[in-house]
Amino acid sequence: MKKLGLFAGLASSVLLLGACGSEEATPVAATTEDGKTEVVFWHAMSGDLEKALNTQVDAFNASQDDYEVKPIFQGTYEEALTKFNAVAGSEDAPAIMQTFEVGTKYMIDSNKITPVQEFIDKEDFDTSVWEENILSYYQVDGKQYSMPFNSSTPVLIYNKEAFEKAGLDPEKAPRTYDELKEAAKKLTTDGQTGFTMLNYGWFFEQLVAAQGGLYVDNENGRSGDPTKAVFDGEEGQNAFNLIKEMYDEETFLNVGQNWDDMRAAFQSGKVAMYLDSSAGIRTVADNADFEIGASYLPVPNEAERQGVVIGGASLWMGDGIAEETKAGAWEFMKHVSSTEAQAQWHVDTGYFAINPDAYNEPIVEEMWATYPQLKVTVDQLSETKPSPATQGALISTFPQSRQSVVNAMESLYQGVSVEDALKRAADETTSTLGQ
Amino acid sequence: MTVALPREKVRTRLSDAASGLLYLSPSIILFGVFLVYPLLRTMYLSFFRTDTQGTPLEFVGVGHYSNLFTSAAFWQSIQATVGFVLLTVPLTILIALGLALLANEKLKGIGIFRTAFSATMGMSVAASSIIWMFMYNPSIGIFNRFLEAVGASGVQWLLDPQYALLSVSLATVWMNIGFTFLILLGGLQNIDRTLYESADIAGTSYWTQLRAITIPMLSPTLFFVGIISLINAFQTFGQIDLLTKGGPTNATNVIVYAIYKDAFINYNVGSASAQAVLLFIAVLLLTWLQFKLVERKVHYQ
Repeated sequence: MKKLGLFAGLASSVLLLGACGSEEATPVAATTEDGKTEVVFWHAMSGDLEKALNTQVDAFNASQDDYEVKPIFQGTYEEALTKFNAVAGSEDAPAIMQTFEVGTKYMIDSNKITPVQEFIDKEDFDTSVWEENILSYYQVDGKQYSMPFNSSTPVLIYNKEAFEKAGLDPEKAPRTYDELKEAAKKLTTDGQTGFTMLNYGWFFEQLVAAQGGLYVDNENGRSGDPTKAVFDGEEGQNAFNLIKEMYDEETFLNVGQNWDDMRAAFQSGKVAMYLDSSAGIRTVADNADFEIGASYLPVPNEAERQGVVIGGASLWMGDGIAEETKAGAWEFMKHVSSTEAQAQWHVDTGYFAINPDAYNEPIVEEMWATYPQLKVTVDQLSETKPSPATQGALISTFPQSRQSVVNAMESLYQGVSVEDALKRAADETTSTLGQ
Repeated sequence: MTVALPREKVRTRLSDAASGLLYLSPSIILFGVFLVYPLLRTMYLSFFRTDTQGTPLEFVGVGHYSNLFTSAAFWQSIQATVGFVLLTVPLTILIALGLALLANEKLKGIGIFRTAFSATMGMSVAASSIIWMFMYNPSIGIFNRFLEAVGASGVQWLLDPQYALLSVSLATVWMNIGFTFLILLGGLQNIDRTLYESADIAGTSYWTQLRAITIPMLSPTLFFVGIISLINAFQTFGQIDLLTKGGPTNATNVIVYAIYKDAFINYNVGSASAQAVLLFIAVLLLTWLQFKLVERKVHYQ
């Protein structure tokens, strides 16, 4: 029996190879045993976030009888995008794909997706209830390509107990670079370092945007295709100088590239302040055995605070799939962007609601009483000034550019100068833009 | 001088060949689909600029190759690969050989030790990497706790470019010991006991026996283990991906990881294919060299 199975598998894989690129048949929607249309949903939510996501999916599946959404975890955003790239446009492609914000341009350029604008127009769906900053991030050339779903911003998280021990006011978090450095000095004691930040491009992008700095030219790629990386300007240097100075003063701990390592360092008391995504707040608040505070992203003293760029991800609809499947995907997208669903999502995770009405829901008010830190993320976003800087850059080679930035950050710890490190990362990014 | 074969004989030969092919077909199809075709396709793609899904767009000749030879990043990944191979292969074989010699003694309860020494064979790369990741963790890892307990300052095992390659190599040595140990132990047990009996009668020491009997008789196995370990080391991916992602500052960006990043994160399928072809040629040459130079010293019975 085993051999027969192997043979059948082989034969079908040969058939599959032959079928690649042959005539395009009309795709047929897959159905479940009880006749519902199956809607495959690829996502990148792990741990507590995956549990929260499954709650959302279950609620949708229970709410109607036509569609069955099947969530499948595909690794990190980067890994999921790689897998999507391999099957995009074929029948194996998922109906719904969750892609991080910096994959936006890549997804549009792939031509393997259906813009949700089609469905918005068909149904006169009202997107004006969405948070303004979210709309401005995901609209490209006036068109809504994907459905915003989980949006986050970076926040400064700190250990209130450590603040008290160091003689700092636990209700007053540092807001500027100077205050941050001062606080970090006081917090650095035997076995505890003041501050850390993940070696990850997202945080750097945010620190630059918070000062109103651009990442690439042509208004961050919003007014035309970008030709040159400009993040090595003054704003980028401010951010890098902060890291370098603090690292040299030994008030900055290098925690590498792994989110869990960073959180472990904080929870075990090795570091007293760090930058995290708002989506990590719930988990950290639940797991730390001390009280935590959350505050805005710090800015240099002289800079006017511009706010933050939308992080997180949106939901994309595949192409080359059956119309019924698309309809199911659309129904699910509408469901998860609804006020009730977003309220639940916000309190479960710390992602903020794309739909500000959600904050008036009773469950949110209740939760804010227990986790006041969650509210900080919401305030930070609503105080953001819409501009090309806070809209975020649109480039299709973002994953590559982030690697260059990470290398630049890591080289700082090896004594490379701020100018050289940034220039190299910017040059590398510029060279990918021409491809 | 050729003699024309009778017609029947030709027919039998033909049908022999046909049935031979039929029996071989499962492995021919398997190798063809999963090895030969991808190999040829990779060579083909290395001469093209492609789109993000790997569809060739434009013939660029040896453009990818010449770019690679002038790219500092490529040479850095070669350096990391060679470093990784040198750190892992000799050490793995030495430790595994030592353990195999110990476990080859006929003692009470030796089975327990044999199982323990080969246990890492049953561990997947992913699971082992995660264990080592926790041990290397600078905040909560056991290594730094130990260092701090004896008064030394902690080390950024995976975050300091000076230590990262060494740390990943150590984890790899541990992972590979099980398999190498098992093969070497098998080799030791195949050595004819009478050789040792004669040596005992002649009154030679343990070390002389090791040098004059064990190592020569074990040499085919050592040779096999050497080749397999070398090829494995060149193809290492899992622990790099899980432990360092090629960082910090590309210190552990070994060639297979560089290929992965180029193909699946940066979507430069052409350049990644060119690197894969170069890696293939390098491994081929090294293996050929091993056969040429080392095999002469191998003693086959």
